[in-house]
Amino acid sequence: MESNKKVAFPRIANYNCAIKYILEKGMEVRCILQPEMTKRTIEIGAKYSPDYVCTPFKSSLGSMIEALEAGADSIMMTNGVCRLGYYGELQEQILRDLGYQFEFVNLSEYTTGKVKDYLKAVKRINPKYSFPKLMLALKDGLAMAEYVDNVTEEYYKNCGFEQEKGAFRKVFRQFLTEMETARSRGEIDAGYREAMQRMGRIPLDKPEWPLRVGVIGEFFTVMDPFSNLEVEQKLADMGVEVHRWMNVKNRMLHYSGEKNMNVKIRELCTYEMGPTSTANIWCAKDYAEQGFDGLIHVKSAGCTPEIDVMPVLQRISEEYKIPVLYLTYDSQTSDVGMMTRLEAFYDMIEMRKKVV
Amino acid sequence: MDHAYLGIDVGSISTKGVIIDRDNHILGSEYIWTEGNPIWAVKELIRRLEQQFDKEHYKIVATGTTGSARKLAGTIVGATMVKNEITAHAVGTTTFYPNVRTILEIGGQDSKIILVENGVAVDYAMNTLCAAGTGAFLSSQAKRLGIDVEEIGAIALTSKHPTPIAARCTVFAESDLVHKIQNGHERKDIIAGVCNAVAANYLNNVGKGKKIESPVVFQGGVSKNAGVVAAFENMLGCKVIVDENGHLMGALGAAILAKKSDKRKEFDFSVEDMEFRTREVLCGRCTNNCEIICVYRNGMMIDFWGNRCERGANFK
Repeated sequence: MESNKKVAFPRIANYNCAIKYILEKGMEVRCILQPEMTKRTIEIGAKYSPDYVCTPFKSSLGSMIEALEAGADSIMMTNGVCRLGYYGELQEQILRDLGYQFEFVNLSEYTTGKVKDYLKAVKRINPKYSFPKLMLALKDGLAMAEYVDNVTEEYYKNCGFEQEKGAFRKVFRQFLTEMETARSRGEIDAGYREAMQRMGRIPLDKPEWPLRVGVIGEFFTVMDPFSNLEVEQKLADMGVEVHRWMNVKNRMLHYSGEKNMNVKIRELCTYEMGPTSTANIWCAKDYAEQGFDGLIHVKSAGCTPEIDVMPVLQRISEEYKIPVLYLTYDSQTSDVGMMTRLEAFYDMIEMRKKVV
Repeated sequence: MDHAYLGIDVGSISTKGVIIDRDNHILGSEYIWTEGNPIWAVKELIRRLEQQFDKEHYKIVATGTTGSARKLAGTIVGATMVKNEITAHAVGTTTFYPNVRTILEIGGQDSKIILVENGVAVDYAMNTLCAAGTGAFLSSQAKRLGIDVEEIGAIALTSKHPTPIAARCTVFAESDLVHKIQNGHERKDIIAGVCNAVAANYLNNVGKGKKIESPVVFQGGVSKNAGVVAAFENMLGCKVIVDENGHLMGALGAAILAKKSDKRKEFDFSVEDMEFRTREVLCGRCTNNCEIICVYRNGMMIDFWGNRCERGANFK
């Protein structure tokens, strides 16, 4: 049965459409989608956050405030395998102290090791939810997230080589709009098929051996274009084939598990490294073995798991002779400074490729 | 009439310009303070370069700009090549030192390290969140000690027991320095300690995890400081080369890059008499509130930048 709750969640990369779909179709609540993140989001988030917390805390807090301003009365917050797991609790307290009235569903509270317990969270959002509807919507919503990842991969690999400027972006935008408005699996599949076909037809000016750069790093910052100041787009615009393994599809839906991942990097790390660290090390090694021209490591300031990755990356860089650019983001990071570093990185790998 | 190439490097503290001929010989060079006014600095630089330039025999066919004000400078002089300072430094240095393996560069507000193999840059790093261990730190400490920043090097070399100074962060280094002064450490030892702090900070920050191999070339404004050079040689255990034109390397790199590209546009010295003005406008078309910079020449807008999305692209 439908509930009259107006539920929102902090925005994350391009997955908002999938979460919205699951909320609306699976839990039968109205989903309030606040505006995309802007500088204001970070500013209000930073204003009410502890100074030394990582940037995703600030931007998600800002995004929650924007959701409450947009009329949401309930907020969902994700769980996480790093400090992120504690963020919901603190953010709720900050919002309550600010005087907002809302219901807060923190998935961390329901993370017990048993998947079944998540249903209690769903029950809080809609006590009269239908289990079959939820399962179906979950299946379709996750498929949508996977489609988003497939289209995004295709986009960043090729958009730097399009003959007509903006052709890829047009298809990508339209695809995202279609996902946001999709009401059934049929519409999701059709939108995906069309986007992939249209992208495949866009004429390219791609050299046989283009520059290939792998982008790795902290889960949120590396996936969210606003948070990483569109590092992938900027690279692609210079004429680079951009690869990013880290996404919901690879890290969550089809992840082989920490143990299996750890086996692949035995010679580099004895122990499991945690949240996305093990995967990032494997990914860096894999890109290096494939002969990529460079790696970019993205993290928000103070992200401990990703700081742990850096010494291993330095070793990979040395052993495979692959340059690594380390980018650290906080709420003050400027576009200009990043552009200088990216341009220099591009010049370097380009000149290097000519010689090698 | 022979071809010449102009390179301009507008940094936070100083503005450098150089004119080279086809064989990279320097026909004229100039080094002035930016004094927080890059437009004035560029015009003044061009005025001074014009006096050194032999217009009878040469004409400037390509212009490159670099440094943190490269875009603004490039718009003003009508540059054919606008390049970031890291690439410019790498190209400049490898042209004059083809065997170089490591380039250390410390400027006014930033510092970088560039690793070179077979004449091509293979890895680099630049300071990120903090300006600790840059020229700005040296000049503020010189002011505190009541000496000119140019004197630091000579005084530092006279010290036998440099005072250890905590170098992790500029602010803490400064409080540590004050503490040591009040404790009665000798001035020359403190000054040598500051030089060591800059070098140590650089190696711990920018140089972290980088394999520094000889030959090492040190450049940027701070390379003129003999105290820091000695500190580097001591810590790295190898000779550190400082070129007499080390402070011009960015400008030289920009000129060489302009020469190498096939874009050609004759440079007109008359820009020194034109009036340039910039205006900052808040776009306001969404809550990003991008700060768009408009550049006006004699009252006419010639360029603008700073918008993040297409909403600000048709900005008038």
